[in-house]
Amino acid sequence: MISKTLMAASTRPIILAILSRGEDYGYNIIQKVKDISGGHLEWTYGMLYPVLQRMEMDDLIASKWKLSGKSRPRRYYTITGKGRKELASELISWRNIWQALTRLAKPIPAED
Amino acid sequence: MFDLEKEIKKWKKSLQKHEVFEDGLIADVEFLLRDAYEDQRQAGLPEEAAFRQAVSLVGTAESIAAEYNKNRLVMLNRRSPLRPGRFMPALIWNYIKTALRSIRRQKGYSFINISGLAIGLAACMLIVLWVVDEWSFDRFNINAGQIYRVYYDESAKRESSTSVLTPPPMAAALKRDFPEVIKATRFGWWRKPLVTYKDKSFNEPGYRNADPDFFDIFSFPLVKGDPETVFSNPYSVVLTEKTAAKYFGQEDPIGKILTVNNTFDVIVTGIIRNESLNSSLEFDLLSPFEIILKEFIGEEHRENWGFNSFATFVMLEPSASAENLNQKLTGYLKKYDDEDTNKLVLQPLTDIHLFSNLGHDLSNRGDIKYVWIFSVLAVLVLLIACVNFMNLTTARSANRAKEVGLRKVVGANRPQLIRQFFGESVLMALFALVIALFLLEFLLPLFNTLSGKQLTSAWLNNPALLLGFIGLALLTGIFSGSYPALFLSSFQSVRILKGTMSSSGANPLFRKVLVIFQFSLSVFLIIGTLIISRQLSYIRNIDLGFNREHIIHLSIHGELHGKYGAIRERFLQNPDVLHVTASMTLPVDIQGSPGTPEWEGKPPDAKMEIKADFVDYDYIETFEISLVEGRSFSREYATDPETAFIVNEEAVRRMGLEKPVVGKRFGFWDIDGQIIGVMKDAHFQSLRQKIDPLVFKMFPPWLRRMYVKFRSDNVSGTLASLEKTWKEMNLGYPFEYRFLDEDFHDLYSSEERLEKIFKSFAALAVFIACLGLFGLASFIAEQRTKEIGIRKVLGSSTAGIVALLNREFLKWIAAATLIAWPIAYFTMHAWIQKFAYRADIEIWVFLLSAAIGLGVAMLTVSLQTLRAARANPADSLKQE
Repeated sequence: MISKTLMAASTRPIILAILSRGEDYGYNIIQKVKDISGGHLEWTYGMLYPVLQRMEMDDLIASKWKLSGKSRPRRYYTITGKGRKELASELISWRNIWQALTRLAKPIPAED
Repeated sequence: MFDLEKEIKKWKKSLQKHEVFEDGLIADVEFLLRDAYEDQRQAGLPEEAAFRQAVSLVGTAESIAAEYNKNRLVMLNRRSPLRPGRFMPALIWNYIKTALRSIRRQKGYSFINISGLAIGLAACMLIVLWVVDEWSFDRFNINAGQIYRVYYDESAKRESSTSVLTPPPMAAALKRDFPEVIKATRFGWWRKPLVTYKDKSFNEPGYRNADPDFFDIFSFPLVKGDPETVFSNPYSVVLTEKTAAKYFGQEDPIGKILTVNNTFDVIVTGIIRNESLNSSLEFDLLSPFEIILKEFIGEEHRENWGFNSFATFVMLEPSASAENLNQKLTGYLKKYDDEDTNKLVLQPLTDIHLFSNLGHDLSNRGDIKYVWIFSVLAVLVLLIACVNFMNLTTARSANRAKEVGLRKVVGANRPQLIRQFFGESVLMALFALVIALFLLEFLLPLFNTLSGKQLTSAWLNNPALLLGFIGLALLTGIFSGSYPALFLSSFQSVRILKGTMSSSGANPLFRKVLVIFQFSLSVFLIIGTLIISRQLSYIRNIDLGFNREHIIHLSIHGELHGKYGAIRERFLQNPDVLHVTASMTLPVDIQGSPGTPEWEGKPPDAKMEIKADFVDYDYIETFEISLVEGRSFSREYATDPETAFIVNEEAVRRMGLEKPVVGKRFGFWDIDGQIIGVMKDAHFQSLRQKIDPLVFKMFPPWLRRMYVKFRSDNVSGTLASLEKTWKEMNLGYPFEYRFLDEDFHDLYSSEERLEKIFKSFAALAVFIACLGLFGLASFIAEQRTKEIGIRKVLGSSTAGIVALLNREFLKWIAAATLIAWPIAYFTMHAWIQKFAYRADIEIWVFLLSAAIGLGVAMLTVSLQTLRAARANPADSLKQE
């Protein structure tokens, strides 16, 4: 089970990562996260939109309404230039954290 | 049967309860729910179960709303992209246009505002001119900061006694003994000499004498003559331009000879221009001081340290400190006179005009008290005008409310609106300034008679003064605009535009306070005026105990003194002349004293200072002084000129003499005589003083003033025939006389001036306050037009409506009166204490002030309310 804090901290980079592969809409983003994480990351659907709104306010993503195949309008999100930069720096941060964590978690060598 | 659309609608409604869910956001969440529902259906759940599952996946309305709310807070904290700039030049023209429009649209109110401010400003500007003039005294001297007058402080001997009169040797001694004294001069006069040039001769009360250093110390500009050499000859004289013109007309005065007292000549060596100078030292002719020693008092007084009759001025080195020198001067006089314990003190030249109150001081002094009284009164009048402005502007604020609302809606913030309204009031004040400058020209002559000055519109060529006036106007604008600006800008646009704002304008309580303040001031000034005029009329009409009517007096100095007897005889031949007598000082203010007299039965330790005057036969008769005992001086008693004394009742009381007083031994100095008469107590001094013990003694050599009492029916004829007699006698002196009554009034000239000032300022204050009241009354009448219409339709009478409208004002004015009364009472009570004899402050003065205040206010208000009450109700009711 992933803690609430870690979940909250990872939401924005994950959304940016998904959108960096191409435009997408809300429900699909949730499904993709679920699939990719093998069910470990399961978001409350309703929380997504406030996050998306906030990211849009911060100019990380942009949105527009489009008619999808099912003849229902959907809001499609795309990543902006600023969003890409943010994603790159987030990746570095996460990698650094991951490296530090894995190194520390190795068995401690016995003292000579 | 499960209805999906109905369920979704219901679910959406639960979202709508939360403010943060705008329509677009709800659509977002709705599509999310639909996607989730479809997925659940595909997973095989039945309709209703699939819906419940989707709802729980999406989350509760509260939790989603909370998230959105966080975003909203972030959004609100960020700068709005619509925020207007701090300063928008494009709007200035709009502001000016709006201001001019509101002035134009409300002509009446604008007139009241601007004219009130203009009058207030004009009054203030007059005072500024006057204060500047008072302060400028003696400052034209380039070395003003280094010049000091030396005076005696005799408080060691007698309580609070000072004198500016110093002896002849002092100036030279100071210069010799103190290196920091670089220049020193004596300045003074000895009697009023007669000056003759050919056939022109004048008594010259403005003839002064000084030492050659005078021209180095003071900066009187010499138009002709060299300051280094004008006084090289002790028998020289420097004239002012005016005096030179009087004697020589167009001729060049330099080198001309003037004869003084028909005994010695002086040569004109210089001409001074002093007409426009504000100087404490006044003179028309100036000669070297040596003349006084050689021709008047005698050379033996050159080193007489007891001959205290002249002023001494010194100039210190620029670096010297007056304080240090003052310390050195303590005990200095002992060097020249073992017994002299008096202190010498330096007084800065620039203090003489406004801050000096020393014994025997120069006559043309100002008084810092008047500077304060004038200034305070002017500020009060301006305040009343400012209050008018505040009151009318806020009262009519409803008219501007829509503008404020609209400006706010399209992005104006409060500071901008405040600046706009300040701008408007400053604009008004500047209009008022222009009018005030015209008013100033018109009022200056009037003010000059009030203040006894010759002020001119100096602002025209004095940029500093003009800037000062503009500054004053700006300040007035900002002050009077402060409340309206803060008030108008505080309107809430929502309330204005919804129309839920009351149309009564500003906080009516505040307005009431302002009106009450105005009228308190007005009533205060009215009471002040009444009490001052009452005291003055009391003084004018009080029975002085002697008759001063139809008496002229002439100076009998120099040779005239010897001819007094002959003149007297000739004058008495005139059938209209009743009495001729003489004395040393004028009977309106006898201050001389020989100290403590001796009397029969005097206890050894008794002390009584007695005032004395030296008189001639017929003195008692001329002034119709009543005697309670004994007789007047008489030619029938040969000893009268030597040993006879007439004392007043107060002296008898203080000496503790028993009746009969006549015949008792009495004397002072070394005269041993007796009392021949006791006169009733009379006011031979200013009424500020209590009646002192007084004695009259005959002493022919000291007679200086001759009095002529004549019949009242032919004053000008008598005077003409007296002048003719005078000329026939070929006395060599001009016939110059003054009425005793004038001298009596001169004693109270400062009070008379105060009365005039109070009168004018009270009138101004009442006028401006009424202007404001008029505006306010018309505003209220206008507001209640409909009410008045309805009342009339229902049968109310015009009088009833006027009474209704006036009632409110009546309450305000009554409150103002009640506030003003105690303040006025205490202030005027304190003022009147300086008179030993005073009119009581009576209740009717206060009632009258209230009646005047109320009367004028009601008249003003009724002008408006009557018009409103008379209006045809059909006109006011048919609208809407």
